[in-house]
Amino acid sequence: MAAVYDAIVIGGGHNGLTAAAYLARAGRTVLVLERRHVLGGAAVTEEVFKGFHFSVCSYVVSLLRPEIIRELDLPRHGLEILPLDGTFTPMPDGNYLWRVNDHARTRREIARHSPVDAEAYEDYGRAMVDMGRFVKPILTMLPPDPASLRIDELRKLLFLARRFRRLSAEDQYTQVQLLTMSAVDFLDRWFETDVLKATMAASGIIGTFLGVRSPGTAYVLLHHYMGEIDGAFRSWGLPRGGTGAISNAIAQAAREAGVEIRTEAAVSGILVRDHAARGVVLENGDEIHASLVVSSVDPRLTFLKFVDTGMLPRDFADDVRRYKFRGSSGKVNLALDALPDFTCLPGPGPHLRGAISISPSVDYMERAYDAAKYGRFSRRPYIDVVIPSLTDPSVAPPGRHVMSCFVQYAPYHLTEGTWDEKRDEFGDAVVDTLAEHAPNLRRIILHRQVVTPLDLEREWGLSEGNIFQGELTLEQLFFLRPAPGWAQYATPIRQLYMCGSATHPGGGVMGAPGRNAAMRILQDTRS
Amino acid sequence: MSTVVIIGGGHNGLTAAFYLATAGLNPLVLEQSDIVGGGAITTEIHPGFRGPALTHRASVRADIAADMQLTRHGLAFIDGPVEAFAPALDGPPVVVYADERRTVEALGRVHAGDAGAFPLYRSAIDAVSGALAPLVASPAPDINHLNPHDLWHLLLAARRFRALGRRDAYRLLRWGPMPVADLVSEWFASDALRALVAAPAISGTMFGPRSAGSGLVLLLREAGARLAERPRQVRGGPGALTAAMAAAARAAGAEIQTGVRVERVLVAGGRVAGVVAGGREMTAGAVVSAVDPKTTFLRLVEPEHLAPDFLARIRNYRAAGAIAKVNLALSALPAFAAPSEVLSGRIHLGPGLDYLERAFDHAKYGELSGEPWLDVAIPTILDPGLAPEGAHVLSAYVHYAPYRLRGGEWAAEKRPLLDRCLATLDRFAPGIARLVVAADVITPAELETRHLFHGGHIFHGELALDQLFSLRPVPGAGRYRSPLGGLYLCGAGTHPGGFMSGGSGRMAAREAAKDLGA
Repeated sequence: MAAVYDAIVIGGGHNGLTAAAYLARAGRTVLVLERRHVLGGAAVTEEVFKGFHFSVCSYVVSLLRPEIIRELDLPRHGLEILPLDGTFTPMPDGNYLWRVNDHARTRREIARHSPVDAEAYEDYGRAMVDMGRFVKPILTMLPPDPASLRIDELRKLLFLARRFRRLSAEDQYTQVQLLTMSAVDFLDRWFETDVLKATMAASGIIGTFLGVRSPGTAYVLLHHYMGEIDGAFRSWGLPRGGTGAISNAIAQAAREAGVEIRTEAAVSGILVRDHAARGVVLENGDEIHASLVVSSVDPRLTFLKFVDTGMLPRDFADDVRRYKFRGSSGKVNLALDALPDFTCLPGPGPHLRGAISISPSVDYMERAYDAAKYGRFSRRPYIDVVIPSLTDPSVAPPGRHVMSCFVQYAPYHLTEGTWDEKRDEFGDAVVDTLAEHAPNLRRIILHRQVVTPLDLEREWGLSEGNIFQGELTLEQLFFLRPAPGWAQYATPIRQLYMCGSATHPGGGVMGAPGRNAAMRILQDTRS
Repeated sequence: MSTVVIIGGGHNGLTAAFYLATAGLNPLVLEQSDIVGGGAITTEIHPGFRGPALTHRASVRADIAADMQLTRHGLAFIDGPVEAFAPALDGPPVVVYADERRTVEALGRVHAGDAGAFPLYRSAIDAVSGALAPLVASPAPDINHLNPHDLWHLLLAARRFRALGRRDAYRLLRWGPMPVADLVSEWFASDALRALVAAPAISGTMFGPRSAGSGLVLLLREAGARLAERPRQVRGGPGALTAAMAAAARAAGAEIQTGVRVERVLVAGGRVAGVVAGGREMTAGAVVSAVDPKTTFLRLVEPEHLAPDFLARIRNYRAAGAIAKVNLALSALPAFAAPSEVLSGRIHLGPGLDYLERAFDHAKYGELSGEPWLDVAIPTILDPGLAPEGAHVLSAYVHYAPYRLRGGEWAAEKRPLLDRCLATLDRFAPGIARLVVAADVITPAELETRHLFHGGHIFHGELALDQLFSLRPVPGAGRYRSPLGGLYLCGAGTHPGGFMSGGSGRMAAREAAKDLGA
C-alpha cells in the first residue's frame, strides 16, 4: 500500500492544526482529519443559538506561544486578540475585589482590603515573573528521559540542573515551593486577604481534580504568569470572533502551507503493520495511507480505541490505563437580553469587561472541592465568568450578550445519577449561585447551554471530560506526560506520534505540544 | 573542655549525646520533663496500668542500635504474628501478617486479585524505597556547594537509582508526588486494604489520602524501614528504648539532667555562649537543639541574633499538627471481631479511603473529625506485664484533631474528643466504653504544652515536599547547622525527619563534632 500522504493528523484541534502547519511548512504533504463538522476541538466558536456565538469550551487566551503566532503569521490569517482586563470577585457581604491591569489602581484596591497585601502584591508579581522566566524554556524542550543512560538525555538533565543552580538561593526555594505546595499554602506566605487568596488560588485548580489546599496546585499559579500577549506578561485576551478564531487562523496558515483538512471525517482506527503506523481507517470504512500518523487526541483514544492494545508493550498499556483524566469542570453558556447587575457594584461598569470570579473565600473553594471528591457536583461552585460580547460585539445581536461560565467542580464520575439526568440541576446550581450576586440574572436569560463533563467526552472527544486531556499533576507532567519513557511525542508504535495536550507541556490553548511534536517528527524524518 | 548542651532528651537528643560523647566532646542533655524519652516514653495511665504516652511502636536505625549496644542496655523488641489488622464495618477484615504467605492466603479469602497483587506491591515498594535509603542515611546535600562527601552520597544514590531499572526508576519519580490514595488504588481493589496500606502515609500529617505528596511520605517511611527494622513493640513500652539510649549515652560519658527546662540560648559575639536553664546560666561551647525548629529559633533564641529573612522562613515553616492521643486503661480485652493474636499489631480503624478523606475534611476547616480514624495498639497483648492480670492498655492516635481549632479552645474539646474516639472504637469493638477504667486524653494543645511539639506536630513540622531533604526545616538550616554559629539542630525537624530512627541525632552529632574539631 503506497503512502498517499507524508503525515495524517488525527484531530483538528489547535494542536493538531499547529503540528500540521509546521509539517507542511517543512515540505511534507499532510492531511488533517476532524470528526466534527467544525474545526478547533475545544478551541471552537459555535453559533449555539441564532445570533449568539459562543466559545463553547475554552474561552480566554493567554498561553498561546508567541513564536507560533509569529512563525505561522496568525494575525495575517485573521487572528486578533482583544485585551480582557481585570478580575472582579463579588463577595456575599456586599464588598468586592476588583483587580485590573492598571498597577496603581489594583494596588489601591488591594490596600482597601489590606495595606500589607498591597505591598506584598508587588513582590509577588516580581517573583512570579522571575519564576516564569525560569520555566519558559522548559515548555519548548523535549523532556529528558531520566531513566535513560544516553548521553544526550543526561545532557538535558544537566542543562536543567545548571539552570536551577543559576537561580538565587531564594528563587530556588520559591521554585521548589511552587512545584510542590498547595496554592493556598503558597499564597499564605505572601497574603492575608482571604478573598484575594481564594481568587488567585482559583487558577491553581482549573481543570484538575484538586482543591486549593491540595499540594501541587501552586504550580499552576505559575502557568498563569507564563502567558503573554504582545510581550506583556500576565495578560489575558479574547480572540475576536471567539476562541475558534485561533483554530481558524492556524487552519488558514496550515492550508496556505498546503495542508488538506477534512471535517466530518471520523477516524475509527490506526493502521499498523510490522509495528509501524501506516495510515488510518475512517468510520465510513475508508482507508487512508500515510508514512506516519500524528494523533492529537488523548492517549486513551489513541491507544485503547484506535490501536489493537495487544500490539503495545504491556507496561505502556498499563501506564495508559493508569493515566488520570478525572474531568472536574463544566461550562454553562448563557444568551442574555441585558447585562447582569451585581449587588455589590451595580450598573454596567468596566468591572463586567474582565473575568468575574465567584471565589469569595478559601473555604468556599475548598468546600466546592469536597463535594466533588465524593462524586457530587458543587452546589456552590467556583465560577469564572466572561462576557465576551462587551469586548467583541460581533458575537451577539445588538444590545444582547453572551456569557460564558466555566464551572468547577463537576466530577465526571457521579455517585448518583447520570450527567444527562443532572444537566438541568447542574445548570440551575450555576444560575442560582450567580443570582446570589446578580439577582437580575434569571430574568435576562434567553437561552442556556449546559456543557457537562460527559458532553465534553462525547462531543469533543475529551476522555472523562478533562479539558487538558489528562490531569496537570506533577506525576503526569514533563517527562511523565503522558507515560513514563514516552514523553517525547513518539510512541511504542513506530511512525505514530502524539501532539495533543496530553503531551508536554500540557493543556491550555498554548500550541506548544503541536509545535514540539512537529519539531520532533522533522528531526526523526530528516532525509 | 567546654560543654556541648543538648536541648531535649528525646531519642534524637540522646543519640546525638552518645555520638558526641564518643567523639570525646562533653555533652550535657537537659530534659524539661522528669524522664527522658520525648515522644517515646512509657507512662502510668492509671495505677497499675503502664503504656505508651505517645508513640506506641518504635524503631531505630540498625547501625545506631549496634553502635549504642542498645540490647546490652536493656532494649528488647517483641514481635507478634500480625503486622496490621483492619476491621470493616460490613464485610470481612483485612489482616497483614508478618509472614507474607499467611497474608496472601488471608487476602485470598477476601479478594483474589489483591492477594496476587500484595507481594508484587511489597517488592516494588522495597525496590523503590531501597533506592531512597542512601539519601535518608546521609545528610541532605547542598546542591549549590557540593562537598566531596555529599557528592559521594549523591553518586551512591544515583547509582542505586540507575540500578533500579527503568520501570522502578519511573515508579519512584511518579509515586513521590502522587496522592497515596492513587498509589494504592493502582495496586488494590479492596477499599479496606487500600485504606490500611495508605494510612501510614498520612498519619501524623496534615494530609488526607488524596493529598498530593503523601506518596513520598509512604516511600520515606519504607526507606527508613530499610535501614531500621519496621516499627516494633518495645518490651516495657517505648520508654524502654529511650531509657536504653540514655544508659548508652551515659556509659559513653554524656551527662543527662532531667527536670531542667532550657529557657534561652545565650549569644555572645555572634556565637552561642551557653544557655539559661532553670533560671541559671550555663556556659557551653555549642548547643544542639533536639526540640523543633520553631521552638528553637522563635522561642529560645532572641530575634536580634537571626536575620529577618531567616526568621520569616521559620515562621512560614508549616508545623500545625492534626493529631491527638487517647490512652485507655481497660478492665478487659475489647471485643473486636478477631482473636487476640490478630490484635497484637497495628489496628487500623478507618475502613476505606473515603472514610479517611472525610475525617480529613473537618481538619481543613479547623474542626475535630466527626468520625475520626484511629491508629490503635494494645501493647498488653504481647507484654501483659504492663497492666494487671486480664486488664489491658489501649493506645490510640486520633485523626484528625487540628491544632488550630476554629472558634474554640482545646480545653473544652477534650471530652468531645474522647467521646468521638470511644464512639469509633465502639463501632468495631462494641461495649468498649464499659471497660474503661481510666482515660488519658492528650490534645494537640497539650502536645505543645506537655511535650513541647510546637503546633502539636509530632514530626516537628509537616512532611511536605518543600520541607524535606536539604530544605528541612528551611534553607539555611538544612544541614543540622544554623545561621547562628555554634547552634545545631538534631530533631525530627531536620533531614530525614519524622519517623524514629536516630538518624538526625547521629548526623547532627557528626556535623557538630567536625566543627568542634573532635
